[in-house]
Amino acid sequence: MKRNIAAAVGLALAASLTLASCSGGTTETPDGPVTLSLSGWSIDTTPEFQVLADGFEAKYPDVTVELKEYDAGEYNTLLTADLAAGSGPDIITQKEVKYVPTLQEGGQLLDVSDVELPDGIGGASSYIVDGVSYAVPYRQDSWVLYYNMDLFDQAGVDYPDGSWTWDDYADAAAEVTDGLAGAAKGAYLHRWQSTTQGFANAQAPNADILSGDFGHFAGYYENVLALQDAGSQVDFNTSSANQLSYQGEFGTQKAAMLPMGTWYVATLIAQQESGDADDFAWGIAPAPQFSSSTTGTDKTPVTFGDPTGFGINANIDEGKIQAAKDFLAYAASEEAAQALAAIGITPALTNDAVVETYFAVAGAPTDELSKFTYAEHDTKPENPTSNQAAIVQGILGDMHSAIMSESEAIDSAIENAEKRAENEADLN
Amino acid sequence: MAITAAPDAPVAPPRKRPQRARARRRNTLIAWSFILPNFIGFGSLTLVPIIVLFYMSFTNWNVFGKADWVGLANFERLLGDGSFQIAFGNTLYYSALHIPLTILVSLTLALLLNNKLRGVAFFRTAAFFPYITSIVAIAVVWNLMFSPDYGPINEILRFVGFAEPPGWLTSADWAMPAVVIVSTWRDMGYYMILFLAGLQTVPRELHEAARVDGAGVIQRFFNVTLPCLRPTMFFVTVILTINSFKIFDLILVMTEGGPGQSTLVLSQFIYRKGFEESQFGYASAASVALFFLCITVTVAQFLWNKRRSA
Repeated sequence: MKRNIAAAVGLALAASLTLASCSGGTTETPDGPVTLSLSGWSIDTTPEFQVLADGFEAKYPDVTVELKEYDAGEYNTLLTADLAAGSGPDIITQKEVKYVPTLQEGGQLLDVSDVELPDGIGGASSYIVDGVSYAVPYRQDSWVLYYNMDLFDQAGVDYPDGSWTWDDYADAAAEVTDGLAGAAKGAYLHRWQSTTQGFANAQAPNADILSGDFGHFAGYYENVLALQDAGSQVDFNTSSANQLSYQGEFGTQKAAMLPMGTWYVATLIAQQESGDADDFAWGIAPAPQFSSSTTGTDKTPVTFGDPTGFGINANIDEGKIQAAKDFLAYAASEEAAQALAAIGITPALTNDAVVETYFAVAGAPTDELSKFTYAEHDTKPENPTSNQAAIVQGILGDMHSAIMSESEAIDSAIENAEKRAENEADLN
Repeated sequence: MAITAAPDAPVAPPRKRPQRARARRRNTLIAWSFILPNFIGFGSLTLVPIIVLFYMSFTNWNVFGKADWVGLANFERLLGDGSFQIAFGNTLYYSALHIPLTILVSLTLALLLNNKLRGVAFFRTAAFFPYITSIVAIAVVWNLMFSPDYGPINEILRFVGFAEPPGWLTSADWAMPAVVIVSTWRDMGYYMILFLAGLQTVPRELHEAARVDGAGVIQRFFNVTLPCLRPTMFFVTVILTINSFKIFDLILVMTEGGPGQSTLVLSQFIYRKGFEESQFGYASAASVALFFLCITVTVAQFLWNKRRSA
């Protein structure tokens, strides 16, 4: 490991020294044809990059967008190495918000505050540092509750109606589990820390992980542990040991409910079509709420999710800047949102027309609650835009595995994490 | 007419020196041509990065931009960092379990498979198999085996009378022993081969002489086999110690350091600080600490071995 890090550091340094002198020599005239490179991952299975590139090229015939593919799992590491070596893409796709501060502090992102964004676009605030925008969102998934209508019918339990708090969710999970008599569980909660902490951070009053106070997680973990102890959902340890996937658990009807991000809508439709998932009726409902003050279809449910966005490489050739900003403006526009919705992606901009396009996809649910869920939500950022976010998330990840495996009591694990945050992070 | 050379004429001595010099130069060039391809790779991919690593450990470099010199600040921070202390302790704990257990298991296997039994080649291959199996496959299968409620290991333990078998990878107390079991299982074949090679160097006459003198199997093992295996044992111990200190892959795919921080080791601490938190200066300082831990223990082992050989 020592050698790996040494090699990476050394190579990055050597490459940055040698390549720094090479870059910047080629400038294209603003009037002539421009080629923009755009970073992406798993391009074969992530069609959004090509859709946006094609749509933009159709609108701006003088500009060509070339996709630069990175490994999805190592995207941030590989992109960082390329940027350090001076060979990064012109347009940098921001896969995870928690890496934005590193790029911004490292002087890798251009100020894009002058790119005009349409009204109602979500997630833009995640890219603002000290009042300056460093990226533009084009996609914003948010967490919702998937439910299997067939299993609810079998169990004789009413569908979610948008009025649920987490207590209602736990009651329904228990009722469905009982009603199905061992054929399936009431719910499945995936192993990620987001599944519990994301909701706690978004919904609990005054929750702020950068304050170093993690007390707001306690209630959420109590609920989750009660659910797994009651047998209403597969427990964390079994899920880990068997490496269960949420697609397998919900898609093959082993669980009647699943809190998950909206990206799963497109996957579920595709898997039902291909036969990887069973054929059953399903819908999405608003995520259960902290209290009844935000429940009901006359209120706006609170959930969480981070946007995906585009930033511009600070070392881009002068002549390409305008074209790159045009691309960002296009990606955030309603036109692009329609194109994204048509392939099952949740754009950062949602309005009635986008919702109609999204639900016109064959296999998508057609009920009103699903449409309401998709269109109406107050989506809080999962990660604060701070250079301390990655450190705190690492500490909270350890806390999550300690609590969920039940190897440490909730209060003790929270206290331990708070001490670590004080010791290891530079908090407010 | 015979031509005779003058008796005092020199026998071409002036030509000899340049020839020798040329030969030496040629030999030097040939030597360099053998060494250089390897050395260029070693220098650019290992030596230079290690030197840079030492420099980085005194800076606050975060990948981009200039690395500011911070002196010993990273090392001071390491001393007060609770996670580093846990990682350090866990690394020692892992090594303290893994090194003796692997030596014991691999030496036992080597002794068993050093006999001329039927199917010995098959068993040797079978013992070596885990070492060449994909680490991810190993992790997935062992995770299933260690499953506290449905795994075959706990099923067997319950069957033989343990009412509450360990939680293994889900328990803060048992996760590290579980990882040690898997890593010993994975490594035993490799070290068994080394011990088997060592056993071939044990003189048969010594065993025969001991047998004639009435020494039993155990006495012969401790008084003949083990002393003759000392060079192999030393080599195995040194390599095993270094490999244990830098354990990373198995932990990452099996537990990711959890539950909590119960299996967090130094290499993973370095990985987290560097690649997940972009604190490459601090991660480099932790790498230097790991480097000195390896060097110190290895030098101590060499000195101990030298004193015993003297």
